[in-house]
Parts: sequence; C-alpha cells; structure tokens
Amino acid sequence: MPVDPMLQGLVAGFAVEAQEVVQKVTMDLLELEREGLETDALTKLYVRLGRHLHTLKGSAASLGMQDLSDIAHKLEDALAPLKANPQKMPRPVVDILLHGLDLFLLRAQAHADGRGEALPDPAAALAQLVADAPPPEEAAAMVGPSGGLAAIAAPAPSAEPVSLLDALPESADAGWRVSSWQVTALMREVERLREVRLRVEERGRELERVAVLLAKQGLLAETAEARTALSGTARSLRTDGEETSDIVDALEDGLKAITTRPVRTILDPLQRMVRDLSRQLGKEARLSVVGAEVSLDRRLLEKLQGSLVHLLRNAVDHGLELPADRERAGKHHEGALTLRVEQQGNLLYLEASDDGAGIDVEVVRRLAEQRGVVTAEETARLNENQLRDLIFRSGFSTRADVTDTSGRGVGLDAVRASVEALQGRIEVASTPGQGTRFMLTLPTDLGSSPVLVVRVLEQLVGLPMLAVEATQLARAESLRLGKRRAHLEYQGQLLSVVDLGARLGLRALAPPAEGQPLLIVQSGGKRVALVVDAVVGDRDLVIRPLPSEVRDVPAWQGAATLSRGELLLICRPDWLVTETVQVQVSAQRRALVVDDSLTARALHRAMLEAGGFTVHLAASGARALDRLQSDTYDVVICDLDMEEMDGIQLIAKLRERPETASLPVILVSAHDSSVARERGLKAGADGYLSKRECAAGRLLAEVLDVMSRRGSRA
Amino acid sequence: MKVTPRTLEAAQEAEALELLERRAARLREQGENTVEEAVHWIAEFPLGEERYALSLESLRAALPLKMVSPVPLSAPHVVGVLRFQGQVLAALSLASLLGGHGWRQDPAVLLVVDRGDGELCALDCEAIPRPTTLPMSAVEAARVRAEGAVMEVFTQDRQLIHLIDLKRLFSATRGTGARHAR
Repeated sequence: MPVDPMLQGLVAGFAVEAQEVVQKVTMDLLELEREGLETDALTKLYVRLGRHLHTLKGSAASLGMQDLSDIAHKLEDALAPLKANPQKMPRPVVDILLHGLDLFLLRAQAHADGRGEALPDPAAALAQLVADAPPPEEAAAMVGPSGGLAAIAAPAPSAEPVSLLDALPESADAGWRVSSWQVTALMREVERLREVRLRVEERGRELERVAVLLAKQGLLAETAEARTALSGTARSLRTDGEETSDIVDALEDGLKAITTRPVRTILDPLQRMVRDLSRQLGKEARLSVVGAEVSLDRRLLEKLQGSLVHLLRNAVDHGLELPADRERAGKHHEGALTLRVEQQGNLLYLEASDDGAGIDVEVVRRLAEQRGVVTAEETARLNENQLRDLIFRSGFSTRADVTDTSGRGVGLDAVRASVEALQGRIEVASTPGQGTRFMLTLPTDLGSSPVLVVRVLEQLVGLPMLAVEATQLARAESLRLGKRRAHLEYQGQLLSVVDLGARLGLRALAPPAEGQPLLIVQSGGKRVALVVDAVVGDRDLVIRPLPSEVRDVPAWQGAATLSRGELLLICRPDWLVTETVQVQVSAQRRALVVDDSLTARALHRAMLEAGGFTVHLAASGARALDRLQSDTYDVVICDLDMEEMDGIQLIAKLRERPETASLPVILVSAHDSSVARERGLKAGADGYLSKRECAAGRLLAEVLDVMSRRGSRA
Repeated sequence: MKVTPRTLEAAQEAEALELLERRAARLREQGENTVEEAVHWIAEFPLGEERYALSLESLRAALPLKMVSPVPLSAPHVVGVLRFQGQVLAALSLASLLGGHGWRQDPAVLLVVDRGDGELCALDCEAIPRPTTLPMSAVEAARVRAEGAVMEVFTQDRQLIHLIDLKRLFSATRGTGARHAR
C-alpha cells in the first residue's frame, strides 16, 4: 500500500515515534500479564494501553498508512473486552498483541524505507489476529503455555532476541559522522568554558569589593562616578556569567544527548526477550532492572547489548528451573532475574543475577574434561572458583544437545571476550540451589547518574539515587532512642539511624531533631536511616573519579560538578550502611577551629588531630556560635582577622554566654606585634599565637597550656 | 642632542628605551667578563620565615585559592578538591606535607604541579612564586646530600632555599589519602 509521496518525508519520523510507543505498549503488556496487580493499577494500565494503541492508529491513518491503522484498530478490538472488565491479561492474548505489534513495527519500517508497495496484503494476518483473539472469560481459562490457542497464535520465539532497536537503523544521511575524539575535545572545551564562567563571576565580585573599598576611603562625592561605573560593570559581569552558565548547561546537555543514552533503552527490550524465551522453554521468569535511568556512552551500550542478551538467555536456559521443580525446591514458580546497573566514578558495575539452581562445579569439571577444554590433570590443580571460571573457556557448554538457545559451546567465552575488548572484566559467583551472579566491571568516561543532593552543616553531599529508597521527616513516635544510638521504625523493621554529619566527622553524634529529614538508604541488602540537615534536590550528574590523594577515602566514590561549577562529593552507599565501631567521643578532647581560611583550618586540624584531639571546623564566627549551641568543646582556636565577625567579637559573644564564659580560647593571627597580642589577651583570649608560631609542637603546647590553666581535661 | 619628549606617552617610551639600553649594555658586559654557568630554573615562594622552591618545569599554573571543596575524612594534608581544566585535582597543604610548618599569611594561591608521576595536584602557597635560577652544580650537590624530599641549596648570594623534590615528596606520602579508613 503506497504512501502519498508528499507525506513520505514524515513517515520516517513516524516510524521512530511508533517504535517508542510500541516499546511502552510492550512494557504495559508484560506488566498486565503478571499476577497480583490491584484493580486500580490494572484499570490504569488498560486505559494507557488503549490510549497508546489509539495514538498509533490515528497517526498511521493521518499519514495515509491504512494497513497500519487497521492493525492498530484490530489490536484495540482485542483489548476492548478486557478493558471493560480489567483483570490479569491471559498469556495467549498478550502473545497475540505482541505479535500484532511486531507486525505493525515491521510494516512501519518498510513504509519508512519506501518499501511499502512491496508489502503483502495485511488482510490474512489481520484475519488471524481477529480469529485468535479470545473472549476474556474464555481466554482467562486458557492460561498456560500448552493451550490450543497459544499453539496457533503465539509467535515462535526466534533463536536470536527481537531487538526493536535493530529494527530502526539510522539512516545514512540522518546526520554527520564525527569521531569520538572530536566530541571529547568539545567536552573538554565546555569544561574550560565553565571554569571561565566562574572566573567571570569572581571578577564581578572583585569589582564590587573595589567599589566598597572606595566608599570606605571617604571621598564619597569624588568617587561616586567611579563607584557607580564599577557597580554597573559588576552587575553586567554577573548577568554575563549567568548567561554563560545557561549556555554551558545547554552545551553539556546537548553533548550528553549526543554521546549517551539511558541504559533503559537497551534493557527494556530485554523484558520481551526474557518473556518469549521462558515461554519457549516452558519456564516462568520475571526480569527486574535496577538503575535503568543511568545514562551511558552510546558506543559502550551498543557493544554491551549482545553480552547482556547472552547472559539473560543463559540465565533462563541454564539457571532457572522449571516451575514445578522450583516449587518442589520451595521457591516461587516464577524465576527472578535481576539486572543491576551502577556507575561509580569512571567505572560501570553491571550485575546479572538469577535465583535458579546455581552452577554445579562438579558438572562443570566433568563436562570441561569431556569436551577437551581442560585435562583431568589440570582440573585436579584448580580450586572451586577456578573450576567455575571454566564456563568462560571457549568450547564449553553444559548442554548435551544443541538447541536454538544453547549447546554450541559459543557463549560465555564470547561474552568475556567482548567485555575484555572494552577493557573490562567479568566475574561469576554462584551458590548451589540459590542462584548465580555475573558481575561486569567496565571503564566508562562518559555517562551520568541520578544523584540526590543533600546538605549537612555547610557541606553538600551527593547520594546515588539508586541507593535512596525513601525520604521522610523524623517523628518522635517512630524513633527509638537508646543511650548510644537511635533506631527508626520503618515498614515493620528497626533501622539504625546514622547521622551523616557525625559519620563524616563534621559534628558530634546527636539524635535527629523533630522534623529533620531522614533518608532510607540501602546497599547490598542493608538499610539505614540517614539523618541530613536538608534535601537540596535531585540532579543528573556526570560522576568523575577522585584524584589519587583521596581515592582511598572509603566514604567517597567520585565527584560531580554542580551547575555553578562547585564540586560535589558523591558518597558511597555501601560505606554508609556499614556498621562502625562507636567511637568513645566523650573520652576524647575536642577542639573547634574557627578560621575563614580553608588551608589554615586544614593545618590546625592536622596539628590538633596529631595531638589526639577530635577537631570540628567552622568557617566564620557566626557558624562557630551555632556549633557551640549544639556541641561542647574543650578549646576553641580562632583566627583574629575574619571578615564578618573577627576573633575579638567572637570572644565577646562567648564570654556573654554562661555555658561558654570560661571556655579556653586561643587567638591565632598573622599579626605578630605586641600590640595585637595585648589586644587579643585583653579581649579575653587565653592564649595568642602568630601563624608563624603555629608550627605543630607550638600550637599543641599552647592548647594544652591554656586548657590546664582553665582547669579542663588537658 | 637629547630631544625633549612632547607628551607623557612619549616620555614613558623614551624612559623604557633608555632602561632597555642600560640592561643590554650590562648583559653584554657580563657576557664578556663571566663564563656562563648552567642553571636550574625554579619557582620560589615564602613559607613562614623560610624560602622554598619548586622546579619551574613541574609548575603548570598558579590559581587563586578559591572553589576548593573540602573532603571530610581525608588525610590531614588534604585541603580539598578543585576543578582544573576539566579534571578533579586534590589541593594539598604544603606546610602540612612538610611536617606541620608555621606560616606567615594564610595561603591565597594554589600551584598546580606535576607530581613527578604524570598526575597533577595543587599545593597551597602564601604568595605567587617568583621565577629565578639556582646554579645547577649546587642543585646536583644538594640532591646527592639530601635524603628527604627537601634539598637545601644556597644561591649565589648565600641565601638558603629549600628546594622541594616533588617526586620524592609524593612517593613518601603515597597511600595516606584516608584519615579514618573504616
């Protein structure tokens, strides 16, 4: 059926759009086929399904592709009775609808390629679709792979998985060919542009500071014109900076769209493949995907697709038992397959697992010897893990017969070769009777992951969204407070409450306040309730590896750039859920360092920690006062010259409060004059050191000296 | 005959030319009277009361000490991390790396350096370093004498400079990135 030449240009776009809609319909059908859905959920799914089919029908008709419109119409007809009385969709009906969708897509692509005229009349296929569509009450009784209707209507699953993505190769003239180095060079330039933007913003702030300084000099009238000009230029620079920021964001988004795509795009079609294959083998399987929203380098995804297909086919064919066998073993009749994707820094972790029979190492040994993969002498020298790894050897297969899916001895060796070609590695772990887990680790420079940004004191921290199960506010009635730790009652379980601030060494451990945000974080089957000060929001971020100097810090997996250019550290969920030895905080001496210089804070911290102190830091006098309201310290080391509130003003405030009136305070200053020293001591400081004097031993000696004079625990 | 300049710009230009001529004459004179000695270019900067230096060839950039994100639980000498030309670099406290040194002014500059193993990192510094030279023979002699990462080298005018060997410094601190490895 030819398409109007005037409309031919639109048909290619329709085919792409149709592929997306068909993918959504497929996912909905697979969901409808499952047990245990509530009526509301079923109704919603049927309504959405009907809407998608209607969209396909309408769009096809508007472009003059009557055959496609008719197919969509017949699919709507098949759906109608079930829609009126929502219930789990019988398998034969799902088969028919999936078959109809395949037919629709193949014909849509043929139209897009200009082969519409050569297509056979769809009438016969349509007639069969109509004839095969059972009434719902009849179909419901026919659930099962051996039903008569299924035998007629179900499409024979092909040996190779149906890849809907493969159905739509990109047209040769659809765009430009660019090499990867050109794109990465462009990305590097965008990074540099972001740094330039930061510098522009800083210049603006410098100009504003100059204007303020001029005003402080007096001569207000004489400098009025200059100050106005400076302020105006600073404002313009700020506006330019903001515009540059928008451009950088747009460029990054554009480059991301060109170079990456969500893992979901290759994983969703695998659901169909798992369904068809398990049907063919008389098994039942359900594939769960965790981390499908992670976006990865397109090239990597394309190369990985084949390996994933292979691992899943293997899991269904070799791993999962028949439903009856599973039930006899005390398992659910439906086998569980899980694909888990996680990106940490520039490494991609991909895990494919099943809850099947596991790998029998003795069988592997026997077959490897029988097939000549290894000799008996060699296997005698191998330990259990090495024996299990024989499944990756060329020529190995546990199948005695050659089937459509397995038995040719070509498989996991090809998967391993493909992973190694990507500079990655593959490992396998298996427990007899419980299942098998394949773990792939691959390097990836591109890609982004969803991250939840939270704040603790002044520190922003990123948490991989994958690990965040829920967020809620702390309520006294759901908290169980013990002497040393708190627990949260959550879904019938008691979860340990972990204060992120205390865990990061930023503050003393304290139970969560009423209304404080709590995040339920899970990793490796463990869950904790994480206390943070605020949830900032979620972002899709490119996580970069940390430099070698901080790579060993177990708390962090990488860093990402926020839109203003600042770096955000990404926390490792597995570190968060790991039990820690409770430090006897009360037994340690505690110091608060107040300095607006980041490096001065770091230096004081280093010296005091070396002397056995627990050190907390504050970047200003106001923040120090906040800290002193909730925490107690044995000594405060404070910079004299700070911008907002100097050391003298801070001491005055401390001495006003009864609880800090006798707290030992040491002033530290770049000024090494007797006048400055006298002024500091007169203001109430217990000690005074110039920064030059702050060599390791001297600071510690002074701290211990003032603490002993004040009667603290020196 | 000396021509009197007519404008301020012309006067400044004449002054600059005169200065350049004087310098050129001085250099010519040096060339005639002295034998050229091999030198080692360094970037010299103050650290507390002392003068320290890095080999100039290891220096990649000098940046204002801003936009550094602290890394909780990192080693004491780690000030934080920053972005530099698309990379994430560690900012390190030189005073701390050198064993808890006193300082005169709060560091305001970061020196991006090659650690000697191809990786970059940033070291804090009180002031923008000054490029200068040390006699190569003095550097070589100090290198033989020195056991640690800091070599004591005397300049021609008998000033003591602590020359830091970055490769030695970082091989000594390797694997200490975590403060509380738990």
